[in-house]
Amino acid sequence: MTEFFAAFVAGIAVFVAGYFGLAAPLGPQAACVLGYLAALFVFLGVVGGAKALRTYATGVEPDEKHGAARYFSFDVDHKVVGIQYTAAALVIFLVGGTFALLMRLELARHGLQFLTPDQYVTVMSLHGITMVVVALIATAGGLGNFIVPLQLGARDMAFPRMNALSFWLLPPAVVLLLASPLLGGLDFGWTAIAPLSTQGTTIGKQMFLLAFVTAGFSSIFSGVNFLATVLTMRAQGMGWARVPIFTWSVIASSIIQIMGTSVVAASLIMVTFDRVLHTSFFNAALGGNVLLYQHLFWYYSHPAVYIMILPAFGAVLEILPVYARKPLFAYHIVAGALITITALSFIVWAHHMFTSGMWMLLKLPFMVNTELISIPTGVVFLAALGTLWRAKIRLDAPMLWALAMITNFLIGGLTGIPLADAPTDLHLHDTWFIVAHFHFTIMGGAVFGFFAGFHHWFPKMTGRRLNEALAKTQCALMFIGFNAVFIPLFWLGNHGMRRHVADFPAWMDPVQTFASFAALLVASSALVFAYNVFSSSRNGEPAGENPWEALTLEWNAPSPPPHGNFKTPPVVTREPYDYGVVS
Amino acid sequence: MKNKSAVPFVVLVGGLVSGGLYAVATRYPTMPLAASVQAGHVDSAWNGLLIVEGAIYAVVMAYLIYCLIAFRAKRREEQGEKFDRSRGRFVEVAWITGSTALTLALAALGAHELRAIISDPAADIDIEVRASQFSWEFYYPQFKTFGDKLYMEKGKRHRIILTSKDVIHAFWVPEFRIKQDAVPGKTIPMIITPTVMGEYTLLCNQLCGRDHYDMLAIVSVVEHEEFEKNMKAEF
Repeated sequence: MTEFFAAFVAGIAVFVAGYFGLAAPLGPQAACVLGYLAALFVFLGVVGGAKALRTYATGVEPDEKHGAARYFSFDVDHKVVGIQYTAAALVIFLVGGTFALLMRLELARHGLQFLTPDQYVTVMSLHGITMVVVALIATAGGLGNFIVPLQLGARDMAFPRMNALSFWLLPPAVVLLLASPLLGGLDFGWTAIAPLSTQGTTIGKQMFLLAFVTAGFSSIFSGVNFLATVLTMRAQGMGWARVPIFTWSVIASSIIQIMGTSVVAASLIMVTFDRVLHTSFFNAALGGNVLLYQHLFWYYSHPAVYIMILPAFGAVLEILPVYARKPLFAYHIVAGALITITALSFIVWAHHMFTSGMWMLLKLPFMVNTELISIPTGVVFLAALGTLWRAKIRLDAPMLWALAMITNFLIGGLTGIPLADAPTDLHLHDTWFIVAHFHFTIMGGAVFGFFAGFHHWFPKMTGRRLNEALAKTQCALMFIGFNAVFIPLFWLGNHGMRRHVADFPAWMDPVQTFASFAALLVASSALVFAYNVFSSSRNGEPAGENPWEALTLEWNAPSPPPHGNFKTPPVVTREPYDYGVVS
Repeated sequence: MKNKSAVPFVVLVGGLVSGGLYAVATRYPTMPLAASVQAGHVDSAWNGLLIVEGAIYAVVMAYLIYCLIAFRAKRREEQGEKFDRSRGRFVEVAWITGSTALTLALAALGAHELRAIISDPAADIDIEVRASQFSWEFYYPQFKTFGDKLYMEKGKRHRIILTSKDVIHAFWVPEFRIKQDAVPGKTIPMIITPTVMGEYTLLCNQLCGRDHYDMLAIVSVVEHEEFEKNMKAEF
């Protein structure tokens, strides 16, 4: 029905455009935009938004769905939304990973194998944007929606209906992205740098922009919701100095989601206007400013990496004290460090633009500001490393993932400094050095951190434990495979391997072939994971309330928690990491 | 292992790790041939970072390995030790002070090399580099010569004047290190002083569409006589 409505509206738009004698390329583009917007609203209404509004207006609660059907409906329980987000993130992760394998296959040797150059760029763009979505939603959206209200001792999120809305905005965005190869593909990566993105008439490009904006609204709603929840729904006795560090990290990333996302949405809408309405925001020939797009885009898209990594920091720092059996070192300072990173993240964006042709002296402040971020990030490392000192480490699977994340992010963080440093970035910019760097931070950091949190909280979310041996096997395969893929690529980038290209000189073959084989290890780890989740969620050992003997509030609720979470509202009387003995 | 063994362990293992890294970086140099004056400045900044970061990496990894050996729980019910808050405070302050000083020092080194690359706009030879999807064109205004191969004279300062006809492209010769976007609507200069004769490849380094991967040109660094000879002929 949605499709019929979309086609109907698109038809009207084409007719009107034709009536006014507008040029052919304008018609379909405009029609697609209007048709998509109409389809989006119809979809949200049909999937359950209309019913939720009616409930809100009448005050009559609808009958609760049970079983698997809940997870495919507009359910407002934060635990359902959390699992929806987690499952969606994992499915998109598989899709994005498949794109990655296609690319590694094409790059296994020089020359073109089975993809044409524009197919390669389309696959690369889709890999980029789908993985960006995964990194944005997995930890904060998936684990955060489930765990944050529990950690606060709350019944639910502050705005449960908005919570469901922010999840249900994602499927249309993802479907639109995956449809774009059939609609002419896209040739501008995930960054859609103007004027490459304002030119060309393929509908795939336009679909990408709309999908990005839709996902952006999802992110804004989610950020508002988390912030309101933490501000208003903490349990009695939970002062700011007693808020668990994972929740702190979600606060930090929510602030960025609220402050940054609207700017990138605006810039993509400006690109859409340039394409559809022939405005000239970014068209130099008609008085536009090409660099303006990059400023607007990176104003969000650099902080966006902190939306991805901060919750992963939070998850790892949450995990370390539990398995080290001692308090989180420098807990108060590291909460401040997360907020400091948030503040600094908004004054570093132009380090993406050292080669862009902006005023050359701007390089200096952006270089220094960016390097300042290593100070609060260093505090995160201090907390992690200090917590291990004189600990009694239990090497359970979540701890293994957390330690793997720390080693990966150490490399990711250190290799970020030459990219922040203007003279070295002039060489490294847009090479595979930076590709390897951000894979170490986002894949090695954010995704490994997500898996650490996933293994830690899976018993709470499902009531069953994952198989430890399989979990550790997956961790080892992914850690070794991932490092083997990307460490050689730093070196290759320095020696002239550009981003975004399907072909390279023949002498690079040995390194590229090695990386392609190593990618198979990462792929095999995904299979181990899928099997573990399927079998353990059915037949896993029952977890009980608190399998890891942790102290934060979520472990006081039954596993999985019932509707409303706690039988009696919890009262907090101590710090969240009161482990260990006084020496 | 007792805690007393921590420092010797970290020094020993950290030394081994950084020694290993140094050996690898010597066997497989981290940068390609440096063929311009500017490449020297980039490499100097790079080497400074590499040494500091290699040492940090080695020490942190050695510490992590030590903790995993020395502080494993033998039985699940064992608990770690709570901190002495005042000693913890000392570590926090020392860590933040140290990392701030190190960060500022690295930033100063970077700023110093950046200044060497961008501060002097004087040049001997002007070259207008015109980028378009998906080719390069070179114009030498002092000689009124066009070409699709970039000739440069060894030891002279060249002002590369970048323009683009359509979308953003980027000028990158890995052996020269420094890189600059060509932006429609803007004219952007960049100074390069080649120091080593030979043939290099100019790569477009900003995604510019379907044949971006193939947007290449030959760069030839030659002596004065050959440069003059080429400027007289249309090439």
